[in-house]
Amino acid sequence: MNNKENRYVIKFSKSGYAKYTSHLDMLRLFKRSFKKTGIALNYSQGFNPHPKMGFAQPLSLGYSSKCELIEFETIDNWETDEILSKMIPEMPEGIELLLCSKLSSNIKSLAADAEEAKYRIYIPVKSPLDKICALKEAYLNQDEILALKRQKKSKELKEVNIKSMIRKFDLMNVEKVVIIDTVLDCGSQSNCSPELVIASFLDFAKIDTPRYNIEVEREQLTFYNNLQF
Amino acid sequence: MNGNIVEINFKLEKLLKRVEKPGRYIGGEVNSVSKDMDKVKTNFAFCFPDMYEIGMSYLGMQILYHVVNEEPDLYCQRAFAPAQDMETLMREENLPLVTLEKKVPLKNMDVIGFTLQYEMSFTTVLNMIDLAQIPIFAKDRGEDCPIIIAGGPCAYNPEPLTDFVDVFLIGDGEALLPEILRLYGELKAQGKTKDDFYKEACKIDGIYIPKFYEVIYNNDGTINKLCKLYSDTPDKVKRAILPEIESVDFPVNPIIPTIEAVHDRAVVETFRGCTRGCRFCQAGMIYRPVRERSKDRILNLAKCQLMNTGHDELSLLSLSTSDYSQFEDMIMELTDYSKSANVSLSLPSLRIDRFAFDVLNKIQEYKKSGLTYAPEAGTQRLRDVINKGVTEDDILNSVRQAIELGWNHIKLYFMIGLPTETYEDLDGIADIARKIKNISYEVNGNKGGRFRLTVSVSNFVPKADTPFQWVGQNTKETFAEKHNYLTQKLKIKGVTFNYHDNATSAYEAVFARGDRRTGKLLYEAFKLGCKLDGWSEYFKRDLWEKAFEISGIDRDFYTVRERGFDEVLPWDIIDSSVSKSFLKREAEKAYKAQITHDCRLGCVGCGINSRVKCEMAGIYSEKNNEQ
Repeated sequence: MNNKENRYVIKFSKSGYAKYTSHLDMLRLFKRSFKKTGIALNYSQGFNPHPKMGFAQPLSLGYSSKCELIEFETIDNWETDEILSKMIPEMPEGIELLLCSKLSSNIKSLAADAEEAKYRIYIPVKSPLDKICALKEAYLNQDEILALKRQKKSKELKEVNIKSMIRKFDLMNVEKVVIIDTVLDCGSQSNCSPELVIASFLDFAKIDTPRYNIEVEREQLTFYNNLQF
Repeated sequence: MNGNIVEINFKLEKLLKRVEKPGRYIGGEVNSVSKDMDKVKTNFAFCFPDMYEIGMSYLGMQILYHVVNEEPDLYCQRAFAPAQDMETLMREENLPLVTLEKKVPLKNMDVIGFTLQYEMSFTTVLNMIDLAQIPIFAKDRGEDCPIIIAGGPCAYNPEPLTDFVDVFLIGDGEALLPEILRLYGELKAQGKTKDDFYKEACKIDGIYIPKFYEVIYNNDGTINKLCKLYSDTPDKVKRAILPEIESVDFPVNPIIPTIEAVHDRAVVETFRGCTRGCRFCQAGMIYRPVRERSKDRILNLAKCQLMNTGHDELSLLSLSTSDYSQFEDMIMELTDYSKSANVSLSLPSLRIDRFAFDVLNKIQEYKKSGLTYAPEAGTQRLRDVINKGVTEDDILNSVRQAIELGWNHIKLYFMIGLPTETYEDLDGIADIARKIKNISYEVNGNKGGRFRLTVSVSNFVPKADTPFQWVGQNTKETFAEKHNYLTQKLKIKGVTFNYHDNATSAYEAVFARGDRRTGKLLYEAFKLGCKLDGWSEYFKRDLWEKAFEISGIDRDFYTVRERGFDEVLPWDIIDSSVSKSFLKREAEKAYKAQITHDCRLGCVGCGINSRVKCEMAGIYSEKNNEQ
């Protein structure tokens, strides 16, 4: 029996060392935690049944986030507070469950409905950038904003134009850190990884900060149906 | 120290973005323990000389982590070996090896302890000490350095590591480890020195302090005697033995690795020890006597662990699962419970008889995993030599049942290079393989071709504290010839033949029975960059060969040389509580191909009952059955 009545979403943050927990390990974590807490999930039908549970959008390894969303279907009807209080103690350090809400049975899955994602990118630099407003304008006013993207199938690097996928882009200097606030296309229709923005901006602004010194945090996910979490 | 920790975290953060599987280094797992380091008396780091995924699958660590952290005055943290990419960056950035829990450098601990599970991890022990920025040699470590301790099965011949390790813990660790950490904490609080600690510690059963002894060698390189350098240290170090394990604490809240470990499951140890007396098997000797947990306790531990963790797999741990005295009842209850809890049950080292098939059928319903048999030797004569109490009929009957029930992949394990082995015994391996293939054709007709048989052979490595501790290992040439011979003989359709690397088994053999001088080889190998030698992608034979050259260690002296019964053996300092006269008697019987029965049919006089009560002696004898 497939009961779509009991659809829920948990919002959580990922910070500190927990940001080095991979997408698959996050799925394992939630699957095991649901089993432990006795919150039975609905399973898909077929030869290899798997629990009906999924993230709205995967988060790259090494990114922190203020807005991770996991959607799931349970067999029984639970109070959202009860789910939250049962699940909170099961989380490792750095994973903080923020809220749990019910999802209506007639909406698309969050993964299918994601529209845009907001990121904050921290780039340490030797000295603050000059004429930061002009730099931002110049970056955005390029005819094409090109970045190398690895193709899924061929694994080859291909140059892509991400200009139309950047919905917002702001720059600021905070002492010796350049902060980029950006909103990017996200989801199955059009998706732009912050990595492409970072690479193209570093190249454009001639900043030689190594990638491993740059921090990225996802701040918000928004959906076509205007659901807010 | 605080500023230091901030800096370490900052550096570590940066490195984690540049390495594979950074989740190995982050800690913070559910059920990992956080304590205030300033408020405990002894800060201890449990070090596993391999990577996180391997170490976290090891039950012994979970047990010891639990028992130490149960004590408010003690704090046990963990450290594992980094992979090469991480190690390179740590060395470049001058980041010392830190604990997973608090990210505190190991060099700031009071005591750090290594578990010695296999000889080929010894270079990793040295490498981890070096990565911790602690002097490798015990003699170079002053009062400001942590005390380095080690335990586990390889500590039964501790001698190759005596240059590097301060204190060895021999035997069961659940009581001994907390005891020694408590003692350290008390003496430290009184302002005592390391030497004061060693002098107290050596009085405890199971504690071996190598610096209190000096080895005198004969001209031929054998050992003349061991001289005590401190009068209160024991002549022989008695292994620490828990008289029973029923009342011993067992973790029901194990740490749950956030990244996937090799084994990600609930595990309950059903019993310790083994009564079968296979003559090659070290575990069968050094864990005597058999001590069982009660069935109710096992079921309870299993349920608690599953409920507390949410694992979907349960496994039982012991040296021979089906030898548990109430095996059938226990399994029936466990399978019922597992089914109701939607948990899969995994039963390693099961004796495959009628009952086992019923169980396997029940727990594996449609997904039939492979079945593995370990005849160990190809002929009945050689199986009698090694006292492996299994006949060809046992195996073939069982295999026939398995094939009839639908298994289509079977694995066989053998050892080669066993004492008295001839080519006839190798032919025996091929005979068994051929007979099994024929059975599959008999049962399945033409479809028998789908049946797959894997034959794996490993090279016999004689181990300390076994009846074969005196025998010579085959030369690497002999092993190679035997492998070639078997490769030819096992060219049978549907049979896959695997064998182990000859070099590794020789290196393993050097350390398994090595004396203190082999520490030089270990040090040279480490200096040349050998580490994680158990991983084929890390194992570097050429570097090991060079290490032999530089250290001048005569490999054959340790590997192929047969020792006399009267020779002083490097590990004679350790008293495993199985008597040497029993081992000699067993060795003599081996050469006459005489078997020794399972001790449950009657005590065989191994000597363990002079230390602790052995509950197993004769429980299945006719006399007892009549009662």
